[in-house]
Amino acid sequence: MTALPPSAWYPVALAADIDPGTANGTRLFDREIVVWRDSASVPHVWEDRCPHRGMRLSLGFVRGDHLACLYHGWQYDADGQCRLIPAHPQMSPPDTIRVPPLASVERLGMLWAHTGVESSGGPPLEERPVRPVRSIAVDCPPEAALSRLGYFSGPTGDDGGSGDWTVAAPAPSLVVVGSGDHAILIGIQPLSTRQCVLHAVIAGPGGDGLRISHWLEEFRLAVEAEAVQ
Amino acid sequence: MSIVLYDNELDDGCYKVRLMLAALHLEHTRVPVGTGPLTPQLRRLNPRGTLPILADNDLILHGGEAIAAFLARRYDPLDRWFPADDPVLFGQTMIWLSFGAEALRSASVARRQAMFEVEAPSARIIAAARTSFRVMEDHMTARRLTGGRWFVGERPTVADIVLFPAFALSGDAGIEHDAYPALRHWARRFRTIPGFRTMPGIPDYY
Ligand code: FES
Repeated sequence: MTALPPSAWYPVALAADIDPGTANGTRLFDREIVVWRDSASVPHVWEDRCPHRGMRLSLGFVRGDHLACLYHGWQYDADGQCRLIPAHPQMSPPDTIRVPPLASVERLGMLWAHTGVESSGGPPLEERPVRPVRSIAVDCPPEAALSRLGYFSGPTGDDGGSGDWTVAAPAPSLVVVGSGDHAILIGIQPLSTRQCVLHAVIAGPGGDGLRISHWLEEFRLAVEAEAVQ
Repeated sequence: MSIVLYDNELDDGCYKVRLMLAALHLEHTRVPVGTGPLTPQLRRLNPRGTLPILADNDLILHGGEAIAAFLARRYDPLDRWFPADDPVLFGQTMIWLSFGAEALRSASVARRQAMFEVEAPSARIIAAARTSFRVMEDHMTARRLTGGRWFVGERPTVADIVLFPAFALSGDAGIEHDAYPALRHWARRFRTIPGFRTMPGIPDYY
């Protein structure tokens, strides 16, 4: 099992799960991040730590294109720059008060963030229309989920037997399970070395979301049982 | 009519009842009770020695699920909050009422230990709480994929009321919400129920 690269693009949420005007906390390799959308629906991924007293920004709230910290209301603009300190409304906050943003992009129905210093581009994956299925947290190393997906039989049902599934990994954190006219795209988010989240979407005309969701639950059961052994 | 709730502000079981009272817009009196063992007088009202306890004139009830279900049956003339006349919806609602009282007890115990006891909750109790949240997450994921927005039926019910506190307060026991996107959505929607109120540990914004 090859370890996942520490500096790379990783999915952090299904795009449909982050509503405009909301902030959500999550993790990448144990690093706490906040994923939020401003009221114009632009996604942002930042370090989940308020420069004031270090509280988690994911507990805060979105005001227009600012993210406001819950604790003392400091507000940060889309670049992470502090713009308002309510206790000193006349003061314009110095440039040094800034939340470090991660490079982020929306692609294939998922939000992606880069864990290194890369600032542009996005994951080298071609955009195509997709429908969200679900995100599912799994208590196993992300590498174990990745390699186990390679030989876990695809969902059975009217829209594809388990025999004709093909599996490909076009990026270190993306697995494509394909059958006939549709494919299940699964992005793997490493929360830590022992826990990951699979973000699943369907591309193509076929595919039953509920059946794929149940299939993912079976996968979780299998891979967690193996992780315990 | 006189409803009295023996209430501890930090107790998640009492919060279930406060949410139900608020959703039904019911006038009531709250008698604050401290954390710790109940007084002999309160023990007479509930031999189990636990909160919440509700007095509705001469009737005394205890247990968050029982009280919420009772309030919904007695004070919701349209039977929306506890759709007990439809056997299917009744059965489905009962699943989550007993889940709230049984499976989610682990979440409640973990939180109480994390907040009030010297020793941190055991790995076993945290794992049990996470397993319960996972059952809820899988259910709400399936609901979303088939067009549902609430635990049972087409509108919020007493099932949502008794499940909300444990999930919303899970951070007190160190259980983050990032593994439960479907529940996060549901909890956000829950906050829009008219009469919704927060408690300590649940941020008050929006
Ligand atoms: S900790 Fe964020 S404003 Fe004070």
